[in-house]
Amino acid sequence: MKPITIKINKREYHFLADEHEMLSNVIRKKAGLTGTKIGCEQGSCGACTVLMDGKPVLSCITPAHRCNNVEVTTIEALSKNGELHKLQQKFVEKGAVQCGFCTPGMVMTALDFVENTPSPSVEEIKGALSGNLCRCTGYKKIVEAVAEYVTEVKSLKPEVESSDNCREKKLKAVGLPRPYIEAEKKVKGAAEYADDIDLKNVLHCKFLRSIHPHAKIEDIDYSEALKIQGVHYIVTGRELPVKFGVLPISQDETAIAVEKVRYVGEIIAAVAADTEEIAVEACKRIRVKYTPIREFLTIDESLNDIGANEKIHEYGKFNNNIHKKAELRFGDQQQGIKESDVTSKMFFEFEGINHGFTEPHAATAYWDENGLTIITATQVPHYLHRALAKVMEIPLSRVRVIKPYVGGGFGGKGDPFPHEIIISHLSRKMGCPVRVRLSREEVFLTNHGRHPSRMSVEMGISKDGTLKVLDADIAIDGGAYGSFGVVTSYYNGVLLQAPYKLNNFGFRTFRVYTNKPQCGAMRGHGAVNSRFAVESLIDDLAYKINMDPCELRIKNFLDSNTLTVGQYRITSNGSRESLQKVMEQSDWEKRFKKLEHGHGLGVGCGFFISGSALPIIWNELPQSVVHLKVDFDGRVVIASGASDIGQGSDTMLAIIVSEVLGLSLDRIAVLAADTLLTPVDLGSYSSRVTFMAGNAAKDAAENLKKEISSSIEKKKGIATDELNFSENRVFSNNKEVDLSWNEAIDILTANRGAVSVSGKYISPKLGGDFKGAGAGLSPSYSFGACVAEVKVDTETGIVKLLNVWGAHDCGKAINPLAVEGQLEGSWHMGIGQAMSEQMKYYKGLLLNNNFLDYKIPTTLDTPEIHTNIIESNDPEGPFGAKECGEGALHPVIPAIANAIYNAVGVRITRLPISAEDVLGLLQITNRGELRMHTNADS
Amino acid sequence: MIKERLYLQPETAEEAVRMAHQYERDFRFIAGGTDVIVNKFQGNDSTSCLIDITGINELKQVIRNGKHLKIGAVVSLEELYKHIEIKKEFPILSEAARAVASPVIRKTATIGGNLLCENRCVFYNQSEWWREAAGYCLKCSGDVCIATGGKKNCFSKFVSDMAVALIALDACLEVVEYGGSYIIPLEDIYTGDGVKPRRFNRTSLIKAIHIPLHNGQRSVFKKLRQRESIEFTSLTTVVSVNKYGKIKIVLGGVDPKPIIVEGTSEANEQELIRQAVKKARIIDNDVFSRKYRKEMVTVFLNNSFKELKQ
Repeated sequence: MKPITIKINKREYHFLADEHEMLSNVIRKKAGLTGTKIGCEQGSCGACTVLMDGKPVLSCITPAHRCNNVEVTTIEALSKNGELHKLQQKFVEKGAVQCGFCTPGMVMTALDFVENTPSPSVEEIKGALSGNLCRCTGYKKIVEAVAEYVTEVKSLKPEVESSDNCREKKLKAVGLPRPYIEAEKKVKGAAEYADDIDLKNVLHCKFLRSIHPHAKIEDIDYSEALKIQGVHYIVTGRELPVKFGVLPISQDETAIAVEKVRYVGEIIAAVAADTEEIAVEACKRIRVKYTPIREFLTIDESLNDIGANEKIHEYGKFNNNIHKKAELRFGDQQQGIKESDVTSKMFFEFEGINHGFTEPHAATAYWDENGLTIITATQVPHYLHRALAKVMEIPLSRVRVIKPYVGGGFGGKGDPFPHEIIISHLSRKMGCPVRVRLSREEVFLTNHGRHPSRMSVEMGISKDGTLKVLDADIAIDGGAYGSFGVVTSYYNGVLLQAPYKLNNFGFRTFRVYTNKPQCGAMRGHGAVNSRFAVESLIDDLAYKINMDPCELRIKNFLDSNTLTVGQYRITSNGSRESLQKVMEQSDWEKRFKKLEHGHGLGVGCGFFISGSALPIIWNELPQSVVHLKVDFDGRVVIASGASDIGQGSDTMLAIIVSEVLGLSLDRIAVLAADTLLTPVDLGSYSSRVTFMAGNAAKDAAENLKKEISSSIEKKKGIATDELNFSENRVFSNNKEVDLSWNEAIDILTANRGAVSVSGKYISPKLGGDFKGAGAGLSPSYSFGACVAEVKVDTETGIVKLLNVWGAHDCGKAINPLAVEGQLEGSWHMGIGQAMSEQMKYYKGLLLNNNFLDYKIPTTLDTPEIHTNIIESNDPEGPFGAKECGEGALHPVIPAIANAIYNAVGVRITRLPISAEDVLGLLQITNRGELRMHTNADS
Repeated sequence: MIKERLYLQPETAEEAVRMAHQYERDFRFIAGGTDVIVNKFQGNDSTSCLIDITGINELKQVIRNGKHLKIGAVVSLEELYKHIEIKKEFPILSEAARAVASPVIRKTATIGGNLLCENRCVFYNQSEWWREAAGYCLKCSGDVCIATGGKKNCFSKFVSDMAVALIALDACLEVVEYGGSYIIPLEDIYTGDGVKPRRFNRTSLIKAIHIPLHNGQRSVFKKLRQRESIEFTSLTTVVSVNKYGKIKIVLGGVDPKPIIVEGTSEANEQELIRQAVKKARIIDNDVFSRKYRKEMVTVFLNNSFKELKQ
């Protein structure tokens, strides 16, 4: 340790800093300025960017002592006297802030750039930001914010001005594009994420992880580790034997491995110590004796009989590692094949994909008179609440889960996690708070990402372009534990029964256990890969019958208000409008098949659920409840268990309540995702929040409106249906009664005090009467389409993605700015899976567990994205709204692959699309053509 | 329990070298640190003394001196590609600097640091825990190379894009040592041994890079990478022709050292390309396969020759 004098944001600090300590640690831990974020700790993500003597540096790889007597500027210094810097203002206005975790670093990088580049082009802006990864926005709104700051042109309409659409339907709040209610806090670096919360007297937790994929734990000797000064407790699996899992049918995981390990990276022991560094050192001194047993790393190995070897889990009556077989068949597939004039069958392979959220998992747990409290980066406070009660063996009434701001989830924070359980246990043992944060490597090992999959899919069509049959044979690699895997198994199949009419449809999915980090739910859950297969086959069939692939799709789309073959109730359906929109924008009819060799257009479509109609844990509770409380001050407090993880659900709730009550947003406060204070919402998964929590909020607001109306009726003798709620007033048609909001609330609360009302959402009873009928049932479905434009270099096989035109039917955009953000983020994530992302393993060991080697597209790898919102006004969605956060991902990947086919005639059947595969296929195609020519000549 | 650590900040090259001599057994020079610090984070570097040379003014200059342009070792990659004279005299140097890592890293990373950037391999650039799980490879005191499935040689990738460009420009290094200094052709410091890729005294310091002026060089730079930012190279090629008709091909990212093939304008280009491909000991330690990278050497070089003729 050596003294260091450092001026951060013009304030002088004197610290003792370790000689090899990083600047990020000094800023965050010593100066307490947690606006600077840690995303990767090795300079690959840019979240930690600060200015050092005015120049951007990555504070996570900048030695603190280099900054002795240097001026450091962090995000906290940008706003002056409560006013945002104009660049920050632009980020807020343009919707460039979603989860907000990359935002501070992004703003600092952008600030340096705009100050040193007089009039940059959009390409230069993209270049400058290409070292800062964002997983939410697809960069579009960020680049726009910077560009607009530079040109100082304002294009966002002022909030009071409503669009034509809104005026027509008399909506005042719904449909207006607006920034998130917490966007300012995020852009200032003031929003606290799990790792920013620093309780007093806290211990730090680190884990020892398995180095074997499948092994018996013979002995764990931690006596040497316990001797280290500062080590307080070491826990092994024996102390936490109760199994948990997000699905009631897959309670197959313990927080710490008991008796054997099932993947490289599984937790074997956890240390609570005074500092992280001491805990790390202690982990190194723990000696573990393993006896390796035969590991199963591939789908094939796990599908087959395993002979005398030990299964990964005891579970299951057959001698293999199959976790789940899901199979459903409708109509007659044999007949469908017979009726087809042309069939196409292909085999597809997909690598695993990680969510890549920028905020690593982090949590703090403590115990007090209310039992256990955990503050954690989670999408599912409710399921974590249940899992903690179960594993800690305490009543449900003694658990409180608080979700702070969360830096992205995409499904990856959608399960209860071992680290959450372990720190809860350690905290109970030690009687003080315990915190943990995972390194990026640990985030990758925790995974729960998209399943590696392979599938053989066959489709048939008649000459006139009517789809006759679809048959899918699917195997997915679940890794070591169950997670959401049973649902994933069904979704791979059932989510193929739309958006096209199919009478003869069937699938079979095997999910296998392997000795690798477990897979689970990720954006577009279950159906991203099988959708790719189907859209590729449809493209192939279109070429075979010489029909335009868009025309073929339009011909086969399901209508609105219809049932699918598996009895999904389709209500609103914007498939046609979506596809027509992207055809129009991409100039499809003039350009498709008319571009030069190497340049192509491709199309894909898709659909997705707006929340699962059936809850995960079967019970008669509503899927979402919202409480509204109003007191003397006239403020309406929305209490909801819904988890905003950056998608903007807090803002959505506020807008809905604002709309119903005619109340401005400044009189509405949102209290969300604290299981002590907020009623249950099942969580942010399956794209359910806007539909379900939104409906519950609407119901609650309508109930409050009734309460207010009836109190005014009593007091003023005016019929409740005469009353209007608008612009912070309550008034009768003839204006005899004309009350300000607070006057109305005075009447409501007289002799009564604060009023609380409740609203709920329960999905209608849906679906058929057969086993598996519940999978994929949703009260409503979203639809969408994408067209992609590519150029393929025929010498190298390198694909350059030029444009993505996307359109998505979200029913009604409650907040168009947020909807665009969700769509752009989905397309960007799809582009990543298509072009560069994959989880690669060596003997069960993940090879690319960092943001240098796991390749999330940068600004420069992201094409022009053209965003279109299609509104079909769903009859059951809140104000007509349906999902927009996941479904948009489905069509973009096949659109890219189909564009490559259009450009160079090679069919992509393996993701990610590698230049090498494209080149290899091109060479085969060329040889084939050559042979054909030669044959023709002879 | 935890080793005593040091962070030293000399003000002159001479002082730096003296410090290095003093802590000879357990130190590392650090310039930008964008490579060293990550290696420390992953446990591939456990030196307890860091000597930060970024405060040494004499290493920060770009000077035109008679027949040479002298670029100080800690000139950042961003300064390099924004430097008007460099852009004019040696456009591929600007291009190469711009192709390294990401914009924020280029503001900190230095030209000298890039030349001494540690060789890379998927089995080496991993955390300590990871390497234990994989069974330590040759480059971290193991017995065999994991990437090749058991060979006794280390083939970790040479990844300095700047070196590829500078070797093509016939650059030399001005090196300061305890008790003296010397000048050495850049290419001579690379050994081709993945474990110890540089024949460079640990206590020596690069003071400047000297590039001969007036050679009338025309060069083409190409880099293969999956994303257009952040990445280390999967293959870097430079083809250069000077006014005397000397052709120089340099490859990076395909061997533990830069691959160099020289010829004259009378030489058969295809033959030179064949030599380059033959010399490169490419193995499967990259996101692109060995086969593909090998194929791309030929494609890149052919295209470079074409572009030179335009």
